[in-house]
Amino acid sequence: MSGAREGAAVAAGGPAAISGGAVDGGRSLAGGVSGAGVTGAALDGARFAAASAVAFGCESVSGSAVAGVEADGALVDGVPAIGVRHLSFAYPESAEPVLSDVSFDVPQGAFALLVGDTGSGKSTLLSLLKPQVAPAGTISGEALVFGRPVASLSAEESARTVGFVFQDPDNQVVCDSVWHEMAFGLENLGTPQDQMRRRVAEMSYFFGIEPWFRMKTDELSGGRKQLLALASTLVMQPRILLLDEPTAQLDPIAAKNFAHALFRVNRELGCTVVVATHAPELLANYATCAFRLHNARVEVTGDGEVLPCGGGDASPASAASATTVSEPATSASAASTSPASATQVTGLRRLLPHVPQHSSPQIAESGDVWFRYSRDADWVLRGLDLQVATGDIHALVGGNGSGKSTILKLLAGVCHAQKGRVRAPQSGRALLPQDPKALFAEETVKEELMEWARDGGYGPGEASAMLCRMGLEQKADLHPYDLSGGQRQLLALGKLLLMKPSLLLLDEPTKGLDARSRRLVAEALSEQRACGVTMVVATHDLDFVQACCGTVSMVFDGETACTEPVDEFFHNNLFYRP
Amino acid sequence: MAATLGFTMVALHPVLVALSLAGALLYGAVSRGWRAVLGGLRWQLPLVVLVALVNPLFVREGSTEIARLFDQPVYAESLAFGLTMAGMFIASVTWLQLGEQILPYDKVLALLGKRLPVLGLMVSMTMRLVPRFVRQGRQIASVHDVAVPGEGARRRLRQSSVLMGWALEDSLETADAMRARGWNACPRRTTYARYRFAARDAWWLVGLGAAAVAIGAAVWRQLTGFAFYPVVTFGPALDAAGLAGYVLFAGWMVLPAVLHVYETGRFA
Repeated sequence: MSGAREGAAVAAGGPAAISGGAVDGGRSLAGGVSGAGVTGAALDGARFAAASAVAFGCESVSGSAVAGVEADGALVDGVPAIGVRHLSFAYPESAEPVLSDVSFDVPQGAFALLVGDTGSGKSTLLSLLKPQVAPAGTISGEALVFGRPVASLSAEESARTVGFVFQDPDNQVVCDSVWHEMAFGLENLGTPQDQMRRRVAEMSYFFGIEPWFRMKTDELSGGRKQLLALASTLVMQPRILLLDEPTAQLDPIAAKNFAHALFRVNRELGCTVVVATHAPELLANYATCAFRLHNARVEVTGDGEVLPCGGGDASPASAASATTVSEPATSASAASTSPASATQVTGLRRLLPHVPQHSSPQIAESGDVWFRYSRDADWVLRGLDLQVATGDIHALVGGNGSGKSTILKLLAGVCHAQKGRVRAPQSGRALLPQDPKALFAEETVKEELMEWARDGGYGPGEASAMLCRMGLEQKADLHPYDLSGGQRQLLALGKLLLMKPSLLLLDEPTKGLDARSRRLVAEALSEQRACGVTMVVATHDLDFVQACCGTVSMVFDGETACTEPVDEFFHNNLFYRP
Repeated sequence: MAATLGFTMVALHPVLVALSLAGALLYGAVSRGWRAVLGGLRWQLPLVVLVALVNPLFVREGSTEIARLFDQPVYAESLAFGLTMAGMFIASVTWLQLGEQILPYDKVLALLGKRLPVLGLMVSMTMRLVPRFVRQGRQIASVHDVAVPGEGARRRLRQSSVLMGWALEDSLETADAMRARGWNACPRRTTYARYRFAARDAWWLVGLGAAAVAIGAAVWRQLTGFAFYPVVTFGPALDAAGLAGYVLFAGWMVLPAVLHVYETGRFA
């Protein structure tokens, strides 16, 4: 939802214009391009390439370029880029297979989406196409790449044919500077130096990396790191690109930039792109075909069918009265949504009625705060004022780098403002970081919740109760890192809540989570609010804000641009809406 | 760089040390700014005074008595020795600090690159991970300290074990990313070289090598005749060859500063 509207408003909305208008509510596959057949995709791709050349002012790309541009190797027509035949996979310890009898084909030059919830096995399916990153387990069936079984490709051939981009931008970056990172893959393949220079130059030009070519990778933003990962994979000129939830950890603007880069890679370079994602609405405009992974099986969603947006939860409890959610019990392949009800798009309905906060006392406030991280750095906060009412869930929204995390750190007492005053309760605070792994110190989930028992004055009974409340009873003996992203977030939240804080500060609690996990987090927070905990949440996720927050402050240019109750806030905004 | 440090540390000769120190401070001034150099002097000067004063108290040799302290003579020679020693120490430290600018690690990598490409990559990975771990460590510390306020070494130990677990977990994904891009796919790795070794560089290398040999000879000559105790004698110092040696040494020490000024003036 936000993708389409903001896309239309922001200048980079080219593809929306091409595919015939912005899309509301229902998300249909790219209007002009159907996914039927190899030739169909190639022809439409050519039309797209021409259209995109006009729209983006790129150099015109000849039709043949789309069908597959490669310096070496013959192009074999008619062979699907990826062919999966009766593939089944089960992890060593578990009896239940993650994938059972999966068969599908991805035509050459296609932009395919692999949609499914977290834990549905789409990451596993993608990684089975590249043996270097495949997990250990029992496999049966075949995975073919351009007609050849993946196991028969040597490591070098696999690197030159199939590229893989992972979810976390920070973990993928290996080298300390951008130029080294771009050259890493080519160095591995023993490319002569001149050829390396040429390819790196070409790829940097394609993505526009030259301005930051000499920067250190640690200083890059998340969006740029992910773009760098993409570029450094493409510099080896693979013909298939597999991406495992590439935009999950990015803020909305960076995610759109990345999606657009993928679009260009697919149309201009002729790369077959397969993206595994739990939120297809971002990429739906670019995709030529989609597959849905459900119950360890794959269903193709054909033309004209509406892709389910975000929430794949088929439980009737999640449907509110205003929408018609038709989910036949046998195949949960399509869900139609009505355009008007924004909250249904992601399954996050409003959890608590909004309560006006005018007369509530303030638990924390900051007045005219100026802050910067070091003497020669720029000011991050310039005269920021903030009032947090007791018992409220206060949201801080704003762009990347606007200072939301900094405000949380100031309220937590981690940093101290250079100018201005910050008043917050001295004890009973808790800070939930962006990455919940920063909290995990123990070996099992149960021990994790008991780690601070002595300091927090609670016992095993309360820890068990919290375990149940977060829905983690079955996972009590697992290592925290073996949990899924949403479960890790809930575990971290539970651990902090056991300390009974009066002020809970959360930094991006729904980052990278699918709709179901986001709903669980929103419910947990609303429950805590009912118990009287005050919360300040810094987030990009406007659906989440609308679902459970009471007051919203928009942070911009080091100040709060506005602070309003939620409904008023979204009512007054022009396009900053969920 | 190596030659500079070597000359500084070996030559315990007041004039040579003074020249080395002057060169170091000058280069620091042109590359990092006067303020940085003065800031450094803040800790350097007290150290000089301290060592210079302490030495006479412990070393009773020398002949020129200038004072009496605690009924013990304080000799000028030992004072001079102390000063020279302190000067040498500070010159060495300053050169080491500036060494990072003269020879940044990626140039070292470029040198290593062709022979030991894997080592070059390891250095690069280390330089990437160090700031990342520092950042993550600070994050961990802040989160834990807010939830459970307190201090102590045990907490820090615990927090570093959290960091280790997190780092190890992330390293699995990094390893996957490396393998996905062909790590270990081919027997021989190449290196992306950003610096070329041209004929000009070869000439510079030869020239510097010759100069280093000449200076080494001059220093040796100076040192053989020189002694602090019992009287400061300069030996065969003030003849023509000795003076030439001093000039050459001064030139060597001042060369980095001169080159830096030339480059920034010409190319900046």
